[in-house]
Amino acid sequence: CNPKNLPRITLANLRPEPGARQTEKRRGRGQYGGNRSGRGHKGERQRGNRPRLGFEGGQTPFYLAIPKYGFNEGHSRRPQYHPLTLKRLQYLIDLGRVDPTQPIDLTQLVNARGVTIQPLKRDYGVQLVDEGAEIFAAKINIEVQRATEGAIAAIERNGGVITTSFYDPISLDILIKPVPFFVRGQPIPKRMLPGENMLPYYTSADNRGYLADPDKIQQARLALAQKYGYILPDISKDELYHMLAMRKDIRQIFFGLSPGWVVNMPEKKILKPTDEKLLKYYSS
Amino acid sequence: YLNSYMHKAWLGPSSLCCRTPGAPVSAAGLRFVSDAAPEDNRSPIIESTEEYKYVERLIPSSRIPTPPKHTGPTPSGWIPPADSPPSLPYMIRRSRMHNIPIYTDVTNSNRKLTLIRKVEGDIWALEKDVRQYLQEVTGKELPTQVNEVTMTLKVKGHFDKELKDWLVSKGF
Repeated sequence: CNPKNLPRITLANLRPEPGARQTEKRRGRGQYGGNRSGRGHKGERQRGNRPRLGFEGGQTPFYLAIPKYGFNEGHSRRPQYHPLTLKRLQYLIDLGRVDPTQPIDLTQLVNARGVTIQPLKRDYGVQLVDEGAEIFAAKINIEVQRATEGAIAAIERNGGVITTSFYDPISLDILIKPVPFFVRGQPIPKRMLPGENMLPYYTSADNRGYLADPDKIQQARLALAQKYGYILPDISKDELYHMLAMRKDIRQIFFGLSPGWVVNMPEKKILKPTDEKLLKYYSS
Repeated sequence: YLNSYMHKAWLGPSSLCCRTPGAPVSAAGLRFVSDAAPEDNRSPIIESTEEYKYVERLIPSSRIPTPPKHTGPTPSGWIPPADSPPSLPYMIRRSRMHNIPIYTDVTNSNRKLTLIRKVEGDIWALEKDVRQYLQEVTGKELPTQVNEVTMTLKVKGHFDKELKDWLVSKGF
């Protein structure tokens, strides 16, 4: 049917799609809908004067009877760690956004736009979650801030290395956005050590903390392999062993760059101090 | 980086003393003695270009990298497009991040919609195929909407998983 030959559109020809318009509710109409109009018989109900929500007729209401307890006290000041699933990490590696032949750092993850960290919202970094542990199949050297046991097991099962390290908020800000920091022209600061509450986490070998004893970490690797039931592959015979064994110094923020250096990006130079007091401070 | 990890002994409040060397005159102007001639009285600053390669590693790239060659599905479930586009009257391009452009939408918490974007060619043939495929899968006649201006296809209901698998099996 040619649109040119159809009758013209008038109000008589238009109709909405069935089910598109719902007729409105009109109170007080009809034999059974009228009379009290759905309001009930006398009292506050019919007169529209019911008390506020939660009022129990004078009895101490539930929300006042239960005593207060600080479950959520200081919740906005607690450190937050953005979760990173192994499935997402595998996806980033498969699409070539993250390079598995280099040590994977928070900077690499942010440059690949894999995670978004907001240090101003009390984010202290990234935590590895073991959601895609069955699918994960990549040998990487990764450094995160927190990791669950299942995630550590999945990475080590594939012959990788995982470390948990601490970054204080200023270092984290620099780590996430290195280029604006270099543009500022300040020397790279040294990374602060964790506070008392986080020190036990980073000194224990079970969490592969960066402050833990390397021998205990090796023992923990064997114990975890026994617990999860896989054979721990020997990394020292690997061709990428040098890359897998790369770890940052305790006070270092970036791989290869020590604290105290100033980076000159337009001229592609690095300025290093030679004053002994400065060297002593930055290497402490 | 040989370390003995014996830093626990002196773990007190490690406060940063004010570090002004190398930086221009500070706003407070307290240390005017030291900032007069930064180079003369102190030991010189070494310049080097060897470690700059580490800095280059930190710069984020502004282009999306092309994914490496995979034969078949990857462990994460991403399947690369076929080498040659399938011989159908329509074509569905991949998104910027190399994924299938099928998205779900929910309005008013109960209206579900599946949107197929980036369609090229004969949309009506695609619509017919989609309707037929969903009829086989669900057994229901689902309303669809074709927008020829934006070249998109909307289907009532959430079918992103099924449609993605179907398009990937076709080779898009």
